Amino acid sequence: MSTGQHTNDSFNKLVIRAQVIIAASLLLLLPVANFFFPSAYGFKAGIHGVIAISALVVGTYLTHRAVPWLKGVQVNFESLRRWLLAATLLNLAGAISGNWIYMRYRGEDGPRDWILGNVPVFHTVLMEFKEFVSLFPFPLMLLATFMLYFYGLPIQTRRDLTRFVGVTVLVAWSFLLLGFVAGLVLAKLRFV
Amino acid sequence: MRENERAPVLYSGPAVAASLAVLLAFFTLMVSHHVSRLTPALDKAVHAFGHWIPGAIGSGPDGSIGSYSGKETLAIVVWLTSWLLLHWLWRKQDFCLALWLRCFVITLFLIVLGFFHPLADPVVLFIADALGVI
Repeated sequence: MSTGQHTNDSFNKLVIRAQVIIAASLLLLLPVANFFFPSAYGFKAGIHGVIAISALVVGTYLTHRAVPWLKGVQVNFESLRRWLLAATLLNLAGAISGNWIYMRYRGEDGPRDWILGNVPVFHTVLMEFKEFVSLFPFPLMLLATFMLYFYGLPIQTRRDLTRFVGVTVLVAWSFLLLGFVAGLVLAKLRFV
Repeated sequence: MRENERAPVLYSGPAVAASLAVLLAFFTLMVSHHVSRLTPALDKAVHAFGHWIPGAIGSGPDGSIGSYSGKETLAIVVWLTSWLLLHWLWRKQDFCLALWLRCFVITLFLIVLGFFHPLADPVVLFIADALGVI
């Protein structure tokens, strides 16, 4: 590799990392703003929002880590295992904080009452779908994490097992995205 | 690796057990959700399983998660018990993972459709009517 190529690669990495850090920070400002909203439930909403976006960012990053395993390429096993564990814990926190804010959603004069009174289809179709699909990423991430800890490093000798982990991560991410977008739409419609 | 050292034998059974348990949990979530929507008495019955969860009961502005708590509880119980049982049964079994992966993804997709009311409701009402529940 020539010096010019090496410099170009390093520069590309720098640009990608800077882009990710800037985008993730700005994205996190979205739920952080909830803490300052004029609502008695701004704190709960902020906590759930920060956890949900963090889980989505980590889940998205993990899809890039999982793709090489779909092709049977060796990966940094220990690093992947730690990231998967982190994603599992984040998704557990997302489900728990989701339960927490869901109480207010269903509370007196809460978003559910307003949505049912004005645009009921957003509750009967979107929310009734979102509240369950949002629970899916945690068990799926735990499944992938379990496989990495149970089989250990030798898992890389069986491509069918690594492919299974890769697909599980991709599927978990798709549910994360579905739940996130639905949650964002509902929060935009009526804040807690 | 030395020549006399053999690679450990990996069985796919535990992976199939863990993933099937996840599907069973999601299926339980779907069934309990539809059951709870049929009549207030059934909703109360499902809710009763989840009273242990903080915020399961309550009213006023703070609200509560209601029968969602019972659905979560039933799903968790089915998930963990089936995982333990299937893991123990299949810990030394080897299955065709390529085939199971297809089954896993397709079943998951069908369960997801089960949470989409415009599609699921006619089916649920047909089954409930046939069973004489409503």
